[in-house]
Amino acid sequence: MLELMLAGFIDAIHPLNLLFVFAGVTGGVVMGATPGINGPMAIALCIPLTYYMSPIAAIGFLVGLNKGAFYGGSIAAVLINTPGTPEAAATSWDGYPLSLQGKGEKALRMALFGSVSGDFFATMVLILVAAPLAAVALYMGPPEIFALVCLAMTIIAGLGTQSLVRGLIAAGFGILVGTVGIEPVSALPRFTFGVYQLERGIELIPIGIGMLAFSEIIIQLERRYRDSKKEGGADACLLAFSTKREDRFISWQEFRSTIRTILRSSVAGTVVGAMPGLGAPVASFFAYDQAKKRSKTPEEFGKDKLEGIAASESANSAVCASSLIPLFTLGIPGNVAAALLIGAFVVHGMIPGPLMFEKNAQFIYSIYCSLLLANVFLLVVGRAGLKGFCKILQTPAVILYPIIIFTCIMGSYLGAYNPFDVLLMLFFSFIAYFMKKFDFSHISFIIGFILTPIWETSLQQVVISSQHDPYMFLTRPVAMGLLAITAFIVFKTARGSMRKESKA
Amino acid sequence: MTKQKRDNLVSAGIAAASVVFLLWVIPTFTPPYPGYGVSAALLPNLIVGLILLLSLVSLGVNLFGPQKNTGQEELPDEDKVHLGRLFSFLLPCLLLFPAIKLAGFIPSGIVFMLLIQFFCGQRKPVTMVLVAVCSVGFMYALMRFGLKIPMP
Repeated sequence: MLELMLAGFIDAIHPLNLLFVFAGVTGGVVMGATPGINGPMAIALCIPLTYYMSPIAAIGFLVGLNKGAFYGGSIAAVLINTPGTPEAAATSWDGYPLSLQGKGEKALRMALFGSVSGDFFATMVLILVAAPLAAVALYMGPPEIFALVCLAMTIIAGLGTQSLVRGLIAAGFGILVGTVGIEPVSALPRFTFGVYQLERGIELIPIGIGMLAFSEIIIQLERRYRDSKKEGGADACLLAFSTKREDRFISWQEFRSTIRTILRSSVAGTVVGAMPGLGAPVASFFAYDQAKKRSKTPEEFGKDKLEGIAASESANSAVCASSLIPLFTLGIPGNVAAALLIGAFVVHGMIPGPLMFEKNAQFIYSIYCSLLLANVFLLVVGRAGLKGFCKILQTPAVILYPIIIFTCIMGSYLGAYNPFDVLLMLFFSFIAYFMKKFDFSHISFIIGFILTPIWETSLQQVVISSQHDPYMFLTRPVAMGLLAITAFIVFKTARGSMRKESKA
Repeated sequence: MTKQKRDNLVSAGIAAASVVFLLWVIPTFTPPYPGYGVSAALLPNLIVGLILLLSLVSLGVNLFGPQKNTGQEELPDEDKVHLGRLFSFLLPCLLLFPAIKLAGFIPSGIVFMLLIQFFCGQRKPVTMVLVAVCSVGFMYALMRFGLKIPMP
């Protein structure tokens, strides 16, 4: 066992492997920082490059790419309020206000420390307790997954909007969009309206780019246009950076005050990541919500709270490593990135699952070592690149925004090499524009959309296995408990908003 | 228009759209129940029903709930919809790919970038041309030679 572990570690620290992991992390940070390009997209783009690498270098490169993209997503979120990845949306809520105060560098440092800490925690969990955690996930049947998704959507619906009702309506719209395409039972098209391109369903990339990036840029341009009328400065830089030490660096006291949040969020991210299908956005918003609820000053969240950045980043980065738990132990991908990794494993002659621990134990230890190395490289690249990213994003808005708009368009084309995806991206940016204006959470919409396949599948399984008996939930205590928590959250939020309204 | 009035209109619009979905769109555009498993219309019906209920709740609370002092003021400028500005960005984007098919990536891309920069507020011609040529050239090289992506 120890010999295998050592041999695996020695394989991983081969100079060529180190170089590929480093290249993966660097490429991931750059791609993640580009609005519209996320970890899965970066992996999908780079899988063909790994054909020419050894299996350890290939998986190390892809894992590094994914980790880098997770942190990279926070760079654009913090500096230009345009999350590079959906999971970085919560980071922008506190990161961008800090940037507006000239503390963008400080916010990025917090995001980096949160990312590295969360990722390190999850990697250690993956190494130490992968099998037992995956076994817990294995016990979750369709009723539990259905109830868990209900709970996740209810929690998320309250974020990014003033009203839970509007959040739930937005999530409902997202679910409705998620049902477009081939229906799984009858294998016939549903809601395609005679448009054959819709038969393959709607991909996340055009929705993500349209709703998170493109619509946000249009609204920001609108704001700048309004401000420039007042101030006469359309050519102004996006952000100014303070040169004061306390505005650039994180003091020990500030870091100490976030340690509990980082730990809690890392645990949340690890657990959510280990459950197939929920993914980083759920972890990130859930951790943010928890940090806000547990904070002594919840009213400061969404303004310039370092804890908010720490919560979101440590949770979403923890998912990056923990989503490999079901992949390695059960062969079930925890998220899209893990699903893409299966493709890479297969290309290199390995099938992820419990048998891999018996047949390729040395390889597994090499991957563990690569994961830890990628974490160290992320810290190095993140710290070294901080100033560079700040400088790049100091480019005047009138230069940067057109480039981002062009990148968004080409990015949505890149997903499936299909101009129809560009149309979809524009359509969803149009929808998101109105949602933002009317205070409907576009984040809830996206989460609803992401969770639709797993929710619909579990609902169908519940209905079929129970022979259309709605009372079957009574026989599943875990599912009942989760549904009871969901009902409690709805009741509590409704009561809270009624009280607030009667005071107003 | 006040915020409350707009909220009421939006809720009423969503409720009306939900009814249209329940009565026409879902029955027409979902496959028929194959006789086994679960009907394809189950989840859409469930969700649209929920949206209808929630929008009616929202409308009901606004119309018949306790009178509020907030939401009676005129909408601030940042909450107003600026359709002209929205379409000034969306239209060139919509036309980009048909233009690429007609005239090729580089000329269409350059014209597109010039237009978008103009709408973003750029008025320096040299900067406009430089940014347009460099960004389109870089993207072309990346897509064509770097990623070997088939261009439309």
